[in-house]
Amino acid sequence: MIPVFRWVEVSDIRKMARSTYELSFPEPESASKIGPGQFCMVSPAPHTSDVFLPRPFSYYRVDGPGTIRILFRTFGRATRWMAGLAPGSRIGVFGPLGNTFTLAPQARRAILVAGGIGLPPMAMLAGRLDALDEPPEIDLIYGEQAGDRIVDVGSDLPGRVRLHLCSEDGAAGQKGLVTGLFRPLIAGCDSPPAVYCCGPGPMMAALAGLVSSENTALFEVSTEENMACGKGICKGCVIPMTTPDGSVSYRYCCTDGPVFNGFEVKWPHA
Amino acid sequence: MAARLTVDCLGLSFQNPVLVASGTFGYGDEYYDIMPFSRLGGLVTKTVTAAPRQGNPPPRVVETDSGMLNSIGLANVGLEVFIREKLPWIVQHAGGARVVVNFAGFSVDEFIGVGAGLAGCRGIDALEVNLGCPNVKAGSIHFGADPATVREVIAGLRGEVGLPLVAKLTPNVADIAALAEVAVEAGADALSLINTLPGMKIDVKKRKPALGMAFGGLSGPALRPVGVACVYKVYRRLQEMGAGVPVIGIGGIATGPDALEYILAGARLVQVGTASFVNPLAAGQVVAELAAWCENEGIGDLSELVGVAHHGGN
Ligand SMILES: Cc1cc2nc3c(=O)[nH]c(=O)nc-3n(C[C@H](O)[C@H](O)[C@H](O)COP(=O)(O)OP(=O)(O)OC[C@H]3O[C@@H](n4cnc5c(N)ncnc54)[C@H](O)[C@@H]3O)c2cc1C
Ligand SMILES: Cc1cc2nc3c(=O)[nH]c(=O)nc-3n(C[C@H](O)[C@H](O)[C@H](O)COP(=O)(O)O)c2cc1C
Ligand code: FES
Repeated sequence: MIPVFRWVEVSDIRKMARSTYELSFPEPESASKIGPGQFCMVSPAPHTSDVFLPRPFSYYRVDGPGTIRILFRTFGRATRWMAGLAPGSRIGVFGPLGNTFTLAPQARRAILVAGGIGLPPMAMLAGRLDALDEPPEIDLIYGEQAGDRIVDVGSDLPGRVRLHLCSEDGAAGQKGLVTGLFRPLIAGCDSPPAVYCCGPGPMMAALAGLVSSENTALFEVSTEENMACGKGICKGCVIPMTTPDGSVSYRYCCTDGPVFNGFEVKWPHA
Repeated sequence: MAARLTVDCLGLSFQNPVLVASGTFGYGDEYYDIMPFSRLGGLVTKTVTAAPRQGNPPPRVVETDSGMLNSIGLANVGLEVFIREKLPWIVQHAGGARVVVNFAGFSVDEFIGVGAGLAGCRGIDALEVNLGCPNVKAGSIHFGADPATVREVIAGLRGEVGLPLVAKLTPNVADIAALAEVAVEAGADALSLINTLPGMKIDVKKRKPALGMAFGGLSGPALRPVGVACVYKVYRRLQEMGAGVPVIGIGGIATGPDALEYILAGARLVQVGTASFVNPLAAGQVVAELAAWCENEGIGDLSELVGVAHHGGN
């Protein structure tokens, strides 16, 4: 699917949890072809913001006739600008970009792990896996630092997906980290499951420490790095990979990824 | 009457004066379905070096006010792969656009070796010599900053290479006009200016530089006044020398009026860089806006405007 750059008008924006918003906009052509893990670059219309570079956001939901939703959290200049958008605001959208998660996991069970604002691609993936002809059993673990940041994702998920919530402050779901929920789940699998993950680097690194080629059929992660172009041109968005001889090798988050084999990523703390 | 955007430069005819800058349009294929470079004046390819380069540790790019910093570290596929896999596609898809290949080396010999390697390739219209990428520690900053080395590189290439030679200068020097003069004396057929300016951003929350290499090159609209001033200075020096060597203006161009600033300051051609990241269609829009502006102002031939700002305008 060839990505398209276009100016669109925001259809809707809603606050979903503390600092967390859902933004909808029309995507007439490509909506049905977007895969879980793919992302778009969002930029302000000229002279409407001091944001300069576009920013990457995963697709969260693709609605019926051509509406896209993304879910974002405010961190800095760009996401604060986005939080101030209103229906009718013009934004630039460039997408769909990047690769997708493997949708034929060759496993009877899939465990999806979402940390914080890593939720969007995991939520879309859960829906797509469930829609397969022979869907795996799906567990979605979703954790936040604070309970008031938890997005009510359950109502949008297919009924068969088992949602496991946790928060570090214990205000929602089980108190603790996603790894705390992951350990018993994987231990209870009678055959190696497919494990998919998106979240902050340290969380993904911790998860990488709990999986191995023996207990996991597939381990895929969605990575993040600063981007300028989103299309493999600026050479800005490198993710370090492990190589057999121990040297570093770089892959590009925007074109080789954002989804990578989690066994190959060089984790900062692993 | 539609304005004439065609520009003669380097003994070549360019269908319009807008090229895309090295490192900001890849090898032409990445954006081709969205913004075919065949509609532009030309494509300047990412700097190629003798050996492939992985580049610097991340983060390599970060936004700044009205611009960005990059510390890519000249990541590229290397000369051999470029010639075998990238160049043929570019030449085949160029249409009316000119193909300018940008390259660098880490020693004078390497510069000359890469230049000579490219000189034998079919389909290249001109070579752009990257004298000033400020990112690579042991790299070309030394070439661009030192007149003696600029002379050595350009004269050395001139002896080996028949293709038009464009020297791309860095603004990170005390007197860019003096370097321009040296490059022209050594045999450069045109001058591209400017490359990025060195800069740094500190992530206050993390209390450390935002880029993995700490320093990066500043590009985007924030750079434009610096670029326009450099083009203005260099154009004047070239006039004083009586050298008819053309200048190619680069730095923060995103619109027709931005390009006109450079043209009025003395640029015959311009290059659009970072703006393509913000909007991949930007370079095409600059062409359209130039055409519309000329029509509005009753300008029959855009070339008439080159350097007009030096004579007090109209
Ligand atoms: C492929 C990809 C998909 C993405 N999908 C989403 C998505 O669906 N929803 C979403 O909200 N974000 C997503 N992001 C992250 C998003 O692009 C950044 O949050 C955004 O660029 C921040 O821009 P800013 O100007 O608001 O903050 P900046 O000014 O760039 O950052 C401000 C501060 O916040 C920190 N920061 C920025 N982003 C994050 C983060 N995500 N987590 C922790 N700290 C952060 C920075 O290090 C910095 O210290 C994705 C990133 C990538 C690469
Ligand atoms: C991400 C990035 C990569 C670049 N890579 C190169 C390069 O390989 N060789 C080169 O001569 N200039 C390179 N440049 C510099 C541009 O060609 C241009 O001179 C500079 O960015 C100023 O123009 P702009 O403000 O329009 O981007 C690069 C710039 C950016 C932003
Ligand atoms: S964001 Fe430009 S190469 Fe990935």
